[in-house]
Amino acid sequence: MTADLPVLPAESTIGVTHIPPLHVIDLTKRYGEERAIDRVTFSAGSGEVLGIIGPNGAGKTTLLEALVGLLPADSGEVRWHGEPLPSPQRRSVLFYLPDGVRPYRDESTSHVVSFFSAVYQRSKAQIADTIASVGLHPVLQKRVGALSKGYNRRLLLALALLAPHPILLMDEPFDGFDLRQTREVADLLRIQAARGRTFILAVHQLIDAERVCDRLLLLAGGRVRSVGTLAELRAQTSLPSGSLEDIFLALT
Amino acid sequence: MRSPELHGLPSAPLWPLLAKELREITSGRALWTMLLLLCPLVGYSFFQGVSIYTESSRAAIHSPVLASSLSPLDGILLPTLGSFYVAVTLLFPFVAIRALGQEKETGALRLLVQLPYRHSTLVSLKLAAVLVAWILASLPALSTLVCWRFLGGHLALAETANLLFGHLIYGLLIGALALFSASISESAATAAIIALAVTIGSWVLDFSVAGHPGLLSWVAKLSLTQTLRPFEQGLLSSGLVLGASSAVVCLVALSTVWLPPGVSARSKLRRSLPWILITAAVLGAATQLRLSIDVTEDRRNSFAAADQKLLATLQLPLLVSVHLAPEDPRYADLQRNVLAKLDRAMPNVSISLAGGRQGFSAEGDESYGEIEYVYDGRSDVSRSTSPREILPLIYSLAGVSPPAPMPGGEYPGYPLVASADAALFWFFGGLPLLVVLCWWWIRRPPAIDSSLANQGGPS
Repeated sequence: MTADLPVLPAESTIGVTHIPPLHVIDLTKRYGEERAIDRVTFSAGSGEVLGIIGPNGAGKTTLLEALVGLLPADSGEVRWHGEPLPSPQRRSVLFYLPDGVRPYRDESTSHVVSFFSAVYQRSKAQIADTIASVGLHPVLQKRVGALSKGYNRRLLLALALLAPHPILLMDEPFDGFDLRQTREVADLLRIQAARGRTFILAVHQLIDAERVCDRLLLLAGGRVRSVGTLAELRAQTSLPSGSLEDIFLALT
Repeated sequence: MRSPELHGLPSAPLWPLLAKELREITSGRALWTMLLLLCPLVGYSFFQGVSIYTESSRAAIHSPVLASSLSPLDGILLPTLGSFYVAVTLLFPFVAIRALGQEKETGALRLLVQLPYRHSTLVSLKLAAVLVAWILASLPALSTLVCWRFLGGHLALAETANLLFGHLIYGLLIGALALFSASISESAATAAIIALAVTIGSWVLDFSVAGHPGLLSWVAKLSLTQTLRPFEQGLLSSGLVLGASSAVVCLVALSTVWLPPGVSARSKLRRSLPWILITAAVLGAATQLRLSIDVTEDRRNSFAAADQKLLATLQLPLLVSVHLAPEDPRYADLQRNVLAKLDRAMPNVSISLAGGRQGFSAEGDESYGEIEYVYDGRSDVSRSTSPREILPLIYSLAGVSPPAPMPGGEYPGYPLVASADAALFWFFGGLPLLVVLCWWWIRRPPAIDSSLANQGGPS
């Protein structure tokens, strides 16, 4: 993947970030009396893969959609390099790939890819590289409605990678992939992250999260239970050799 | 990158978005199904229209008086385009809703609103695609005009273009209504119900309360079907064009307000209110615009040219007080034959119903049926609904002599004895086949750029 990424700030280098590029403060979304997410606070650094894990109904999708501005948050703030990033402007920094979307089912896969490429003015080489990196070429002529779940997921992944945004949010990015494909996609995300792009992934499968994420945000009942690297979470739960599953069970 | 910059927002090209919208609306079944239904519907209406016109022409072909009453606008265009109007009312919402409804249903809207386009741009280009779909849907109707010319029929350019313009405005109105319905609905089915409730509700309004006095009469004027009527009468009305255009703009603006999923319903309602108020004000202003042009070749909406010229010079207010109930057929005659023409010809005409729009009690009222004309302090009363009696009365009140008739300019009429049997083959065979071929061509797998497809990568 050789797609040009946006120029990132000089002080934001991988692993050494003075002001985290993305800072989410007390983000809250209510449905009536119920708080789907409750004062969620976290940050994400450049080139980081942050995994949001949690049980069903924890608020992972709500958090991503409220963060990107697709759901109206009731309170909270999102900051980009220390400056407030109001909801209408978030699409300039964040690109969100929802789960369960099958876009433009009557159109061919190549048309959908071409559409996003043309919108973001990607070069032919970039498009070809993206198609190759997600293994989409066997189905380029197929209609989106006729794609298997796995290929539909690859298409969505290709669309996200064509977007030039510095931060990509993905809801269940490994859903629909088998083990080999999951590893390939995880490698692809790691390569992208190494170039400075930040990923925030809502992941249901803990083993996938453990494999690809630098840090993990454990969400349960709409609240952040813990944030940190696997080692930090192990220390926090006093499970020095515990797996993510053990930590998950201990914290939820 | 300290401050957020909208990636590519200033320079995001519009063409990919428009091309996507066009592909979306043409790749679905709705448009092509509508076209396939339109072919026989419009074709049979045309065939019937030609048959009846031919029957009328047989008697008129040797009689100039009878011939002068034969106009292709009434005989061919109105019945043929009338069937197109029915299809646009009932079927076109399904085509237009697809432009937005499917993206909502599949979740693609959540991707679309993240693209570097303003929401107003997204909705405007969707309306542009809907307009293209309407143009495609109008091809069977347009082909009837070609067939009519091919049969040797006459078409007056101005009145034909005006009628087509009216249908275009009506189509845009239906398209914008469908987009708005889709923007406030979670599913295409709900959007279709809302759109059809308005369009069919308009028919119900038109049929049930038109001609009734008072508030019901005003309510009937809100019917969408009223949009086409002046165009069908051969009038290009500035007020109507302004009103319909403002309604389209309002619906597009409301669709833009209701499109983004990340805004609360309360906020959307708050943002909708100014658009509704502005549109209501423009619609109010549009009702006061009296400028309209009679584009018919037979000048059916105008008095004779000499009368028109003389009436235009009468600058003082003419007050007309009508002692008739609005639902009285004589009032309709008077309105069509005299009042509407006077209103267009004279600079200052004021018309009032003596009984008010709440109704008129005819029983025991000897003045019922009288029409009083007041000009320059002088008044006269007549019960006639014919301009032959009323114009001399007005000239007398104004103290001017009736004008001498201008020579020439008589409408000759266009009788034509022709058979449209061959056209049936086109509308029931050739055109549907062409539609199916176009459908197949559009849905064929695309050619893939080899430079994109031949790359390696994981499978």
